[in-house]
Amino acid sequence: MQRFRRIVAAIALAATATTTVAACGGDDSGDDSGAKTLKLWHYEGENSAMGVGWDKAIEIFKTEHPGVEVRFERKAFEQIQQNAGMIINSSEGPDIMEYNKGNATAGLLSSQGLLTDLSGEAEKRGWAGKLSPSLQTTARYSDKGVMGSGNWFGVPNYGEYVTVYYNKDLFDRNGVTVPTTMAELTAAMDTFVGKGITPLGMAGAEYPAGQLFYQLALAKADRQFVDNYQLYKNPVDFRADPLKYGADTFADWVRKGYVAKDSSSLKAEDMGTAFIAGKTPMIVSGSWWYGRFKAEMKANWDTFLFPGNTLNAGSSGNIWVVPTNSKAKSLAYDFIDITLRPEVQDLIGNNGGIPVAGDPAKIADPKDRKLIEDFNTVSKQDGLAFYPDWPVPGYYDVLVGGFQALINGSKSPDQVLDTIAKPYADGVKEITGK
Amino acid sequence: MTATITKVPIRPKVRDRHHRGLSRWVVLAGVTVGALVMLVPFAFMLLNAFKSPGDYSSGGPLSWPTQFYTQGLRTYWSEVNFPLKLWNSTLIAGSVAVFGVIVSLLNAYALGIGRVRGRLWIVGLFLLANMLPQEALIYPLYYVAKEIGLYNTRLSVIIIFTVIQSAFGTYLLASVLGTFPRALLEAAALDGAGKWTVLWRVVFPNLRPTLAVLLIFFFIWTWNEFLIPLVMLIDNQTQTIPVALASLQGDRLMDAPTTNAGALISLVPAILFFLIFQRTLARGITAGAEK
Repeated sequence: MQRFRRIVAAIALAATATTTVAACGGDDSGDDSGAKTLKLWHYEGENSAMGVGWDKAIEIFKTEHPGVEVRFERKAFEQIQQNAGMIINSSEGPDIMEYNKGNATAGLLSSQGLLTDLSGEAEKRGWAGKLSPSLQTTARYSDKGVMGSGNWFGVPNYGEYVTVYYNKDLFDRNGVTVPTTMAELTAAMDTFVGKGITPLGMAGAEYPAGQLFYQLALAKADRQFVDNYQLYKNPVDFRADPLKYGADTFADWVRKGYVAKDSSSLKAEDMGTAFIAGKTPMIVSGSWWYGRFKAEMKANWDTFLFPGNTLNAGSSGNIWVVPTNSKAKSLAYDFIDITLRPEVQDLIGNNGGIPVAGDPAKIADPKDRKLIEDFNTVSKQDGLAFYPDWPVPGYYDVLVGGFQALINGSKSPDQVLDTIAKPYADGVKEITGK
Repeated sequence: MTATITKVPIRPKVRDRHHRGLSRWVVLAGVTVGALVMLVPFAFMLLNAFKSPGDYSSGGPLSWPTQFYTQGLRTYWSEVNFPLKLWNSTLIAGSVAVFGVIVSLLNAYALGIGRVRGRLWIVGLFLLANMLPQEALIYPLYYVAKEIGLYNTRLSVIIIFTVIQSAFGTYLLASVLGTFPRALLEAAALDGAGKWTVLWRVVFPNLRPTLAVLLIFFFIWTWNEFLIPLVMLIDNQTQTIPVALASLQGDRLMDAPTTNAGALISLVPAILFFLIFQRTLARGITAGAEK
């Protein structure tokens, strides 16, 4: 027994020793003007819009910086998602990398001092002028790591937003035209229901349900609400509009059969493949599906903006960040600058992505152009409202649980609003200390 | 004499077989159903690995592919530089298997035969180390590795898994060696054998089948490890196959056919390894039963 205690004590001592040693880990920032390599990481697929665009950016970078070796590695999303903090806190990390925008990711790392402040470069190189205010929201973080204000810690290259995808063939066959108002949309859905078709694809087990709720709520919302909800400017009342309207309307849509009751257990992938297979006339989801639909769908399809909304769920895409431990910061800034140039941005657009600083006139495919023009419309009217699960950590699961109950009818809209209100309030309290 | 002895037990056996006829068939049917259930996921993987993404999306995972599509396999092979990952995985799993077995044997020799004081606590501690969730170990491991300059090296993963696997190996072998026939050890000691000689000349040959099984288990367990390699090996040059497989999964999108193709390629080495060593495995598992 005596021995055992001694062993435990020794282990505890060793553990504390290592953590204190680690805490003293050096932060050496030196001059890197002579850097000869640029270690660059991102996690976009080789054939995706961003993958193609950034390959081009690397090529341009190489011609403009002869003698600099670019060591590019394509990483797994999960690896960056889980370990970014550990990776860039070591000397083995990259000089520049793609990272997830948002409070829980880029915000957290910036507040820990792991990311380089890019404000000076953004000013000098005019990045601020190229990005609309709602795109800049995800680039700037306060000293507490809350997005929306403060210094620049990341630079977005592409945008994403929630829109409506529709199957043209199904619309034509059932005599439905593209709706431009909410009333037309419900009329269109009534037509489908009358013919025995569930008009709207849904996936209760993942993000689509929360996003539809948010999208519906945004119909009655203004920028002030978004600031309150996302940036904690003022307390949010879940029992009042716009959130009440969102939940009530959602429940109404389920009751009328616009959304299938048994979709509560489906995953986003199921919703997407059902749309590709031509079984669903419409889905309300993000532009991240666009490339896949374009490559895989045989039926005719297109997109239209959620009718009647000025505000739409959406944001900038992931951002380029420069770790504090980067050994080639000035080269990293040069690279970011190249990714914002028209030739790279247009390439992203022509491959089904949404460039943040592109020219729609340069986009060849009409469907691509429509997607980008719609995004620009939203972005120009300051209409990107981010995503419903962003405000507090762990809120994604809360929303999924709440709206699963709403779809399968086990809870009333008011009950759902109550269940999602409390974790929100607790989470905000933890972040703001109020 | 021996002839009669061997003949006698055969007869009732033959009769037994007829008597148990029905139950034998029931057991056979049960095993067949069990095997089929086990094979279903593999069948799905095989089916979807040769399907184009469009085919998968419109027909679903159950449909028969309209064309024999191998692009997924080729994409995975070239995009993740599979031969390099194969080498990394083999190097790591192989080293861990060998070192893990050696360390387990040495530990267990001290605990089971040497009977050091407080061995129960030590074995308990080993077991505890084995039961700790890896998530709890990650941060300390990361900091230590970073401080001693082993972060992002294959050596760090080899050391970590040698320790983790040998914790289990020590526990297992210590209890096996606890029942090692004392007479054998005493006979060896009388012949003037030292501790070292006893280990290599007496204990090791008797344990060989068990050690072979441990070796195979360590190899396969380490081969399939995900979290620690994911955290410790951040360069594409040092990564293992399961980590490479994860790179096919995106933020919001998944590419099911390519993932299936990747899983198929990634599974082949482990299956080959198992097939080559399965005789050893069977012998090792039954070795104790014959006593």
